[in-house]
Amino acid sequence: MIRIPTRVLVVDDEKEFVEMLSLRLQEVGEKVTAAYSGRECLDMLKDTQIDVVILDIKMPGMDGMETLREIKKRFPLVEVIMLTGHGSAETAVEGMKLGAYDYLMKPADFDDLTTKLQGARKRKEEQEERIRAAEARLLVRKAGGPI
Amino acid sequence: MEDIRLLLVDDEADFRKTLVKRLKRRGIDPQEACSGEECLAELEASPMDVVVLDVKMPGMDGIETLRQIKRQYPQTEVIMLTGHATTRDGVDGIKQGAFDYLSKPIELDHLMGKIKQAHDKILREEEKRREAEFRARMEQQMIATERLASLGTLAAGVAHEINNPLAIIKESAGWMGAILNKEDLADMPRKADFRLALDKIEKGVERTRRITHQLLGTVKQTDSAAVEVDIQELVDEAADLIAKEAGHKDVEIIRNLDASVGTLWSDPYKLRQVLINLLTNAIHATPSGGKVTISSEPMEHKVVIHIEDTGQGIPRENLDKIFEPFFSTKPPGEGTGLGLFVSRSIVEKLGGTLTVESQLGHGSRFTVRLPEYTRIVNGDGEREGPSV
Repeated sequence: MIRIPTRVLVVDDEKEFVEMLSLRLQEVGEKVTAAYSGRECLDMLKDTQIDVVILDIKMPGMDGMETLREIKKRFPLVEVIMLTGHGSAETAVEGMKLGAYDYLMKPADFDDLTTKLQGARKRKEEQEERIRAAEARLLVRKAGGPI
Repeated sequence: MEDIRLLLVDDEADFRKTLVKRLKRRGIDPQEACSGEECLAELEASPMDVVVLDVKMPGMDGIETLRQIKRQYPQTEVIMLTGHATTRDGVDGIKQGAFDYLSKPIELDHLMGKIKQAHDKILREEEKRREAEFRARMEQQMIATERLASLGTLAAGVAHEINNPLAIIKESAGWMGAILNKEDLADMPRKADFRLALDKIEKGVERTRRITHQLLGTVKQTDSAAVEVDIQELVDEAADLIAKEAGHKDVEIIRNLDASVGTLWSDPYKLRQVLINLLTNAIHATPSGGKVTISSEPMEHKVVIHIEDTGQGIPRENLDKIFEPFFSTKPPGEGTGLGLFVSRSIVEKLGGTLTVESQLGHGSRFTVRLPEYTRIVNGDGEREGPSV
C-alpha cells in the first residue's frame, strides 16, 4: 500500500531543531518544508500546498499566536499543531480556540506528534471532502437538475 | 525573687552569718564565700545572678575580684559593700562594672532593693538577648527563603534554555533510529550497537526532560482550580495508585483517617501529587515488612494529614536540606532531588505547610497542614474560593 505523504511545514526559529525534525519526518515518509519565522511561514503558505503546520509558539518577531491568527485568516483549511514550552498550556488552549488542531509540549514525543499529524490531516481531508460535496450540490442546482 | 541565685562574699564570718539569716527570712537563700578566691571558685562551680561583694578583704581585694567576675561572667551583676568612710571604692567599683554599691552598715531594705534591681536588669538583658537571637534566626530564615526563591527562578530559566537543545538531540537520535529501520540498512554491521547507543541517548533525554519539566512546574503553576475535595477519597486514590509499588516491596500501607476529616476547598490534582510524592518517598525509605501509615488529625478550620514510615529516618543534619532542590540521597538517576522541594512549594501555594519530624533508626513523619478553605491566587491576582 502506498502511503500518501502529509505535507508538513515546520516553523521554528531554532534552525537546528527544524532541520532535525524535518529529516526525521521525511524519514518516515512525510513531505516536509521548513520556515524559520512567522513571516516566512506565511510566505511559504502562499505558494506551497501544505496540509499541516507545526508551529513553535515562542519566536522572535511575529510570534506563534500572531502567525496562527494570520494562517487561520488567510488559509483557513490549513491545520496547525502548536509546539509550546512548559507552562504555556494556557496559550495553547487559546490557540486551539483560534482554530489550531492541537498542541504538544517541547521536547515532544515523536509518536504523539505523528498521531496528531495524522489526526490533523484527516480533519483537513474531511473538511475538503465536505466542501467538494457541497460544491457538487451547488453545481447540480445551478445546472437546473433535480432537487 | 525566690529563684534568684545570690553569692555573698565577705571575710567577716559574723557579718555573713547575720546577713544570711536575715536574707533567708526574706526568701533568699544565698551561697557564701569568705574571700575573692573562694568567690571565683564558687562561680566556676555554679553560675550566679548577683554577687554581693565586700571591697575590703585580705588576699584578693573586692575591686580585683570584681574585675575577674566581670571578665569571666559578664552577665553576673555585682553589688559592692564599702566601709562608710571609703565610698571612693564604691565609685571605683561602678567604673569597673559593678551594678551599684552600698556603704556599711547596710540597711536590709536597701540591700534587698538593690538586689531586686540587679535581678531585673539581668532579666531585661536576657530578654534582649533572646530577642536578638530570634531576630538573627528570622533573618537567617529570610535569607534562606530568598536564596531558594532566586534559585528557583534561575533553575526555571536554565530549564527553559535546556529544553530547546534537548529537542534537537531528541529529534537527531530519533532520526537515526528511523534510518536504522530502513530496509536498505537491514544488513548493516554492528546495528545492535547503534541501537543500544541510541536507546541510551533517548533515555538520557527523557531523564533530562523530566527534570526540566519538574523544575518549571515549581515556578509556573497554571491551571489551578479549587474544588471541594473529599480527603478520604483523595487519600484512597493516592494510596491505590502506589499500592502496587508497596506490594512489590512488601510494605504495608495503613489508612487511619479520622472519620471527621471531611472536605477541603483546594486543588485536587496538586494535592494528589503531593500525597503520591510523600507516599512514594515513605515506601522507598521503608525496608520490607515495614509500614507506612496515613493518618489525619481533627482540627478546627484545618486539615492535618500525617504520612509516617518505619524506615531508617533522616539524620538531623539533613532535616533542613531535604526540602532544598536537588538534594537527594538516592543514587544518581533514581531521584531528581525535586520531589520534596516541589511538594513543599505546592502546599505553600495552597496556603499550608509541609513539615517533617524524624528519629534516626525509627522512621520519619511528614505532616501536611492545609486551611479548610484554601484560596488560590491566580496569576492575574483573581481569587477563587467558595461562594458560600
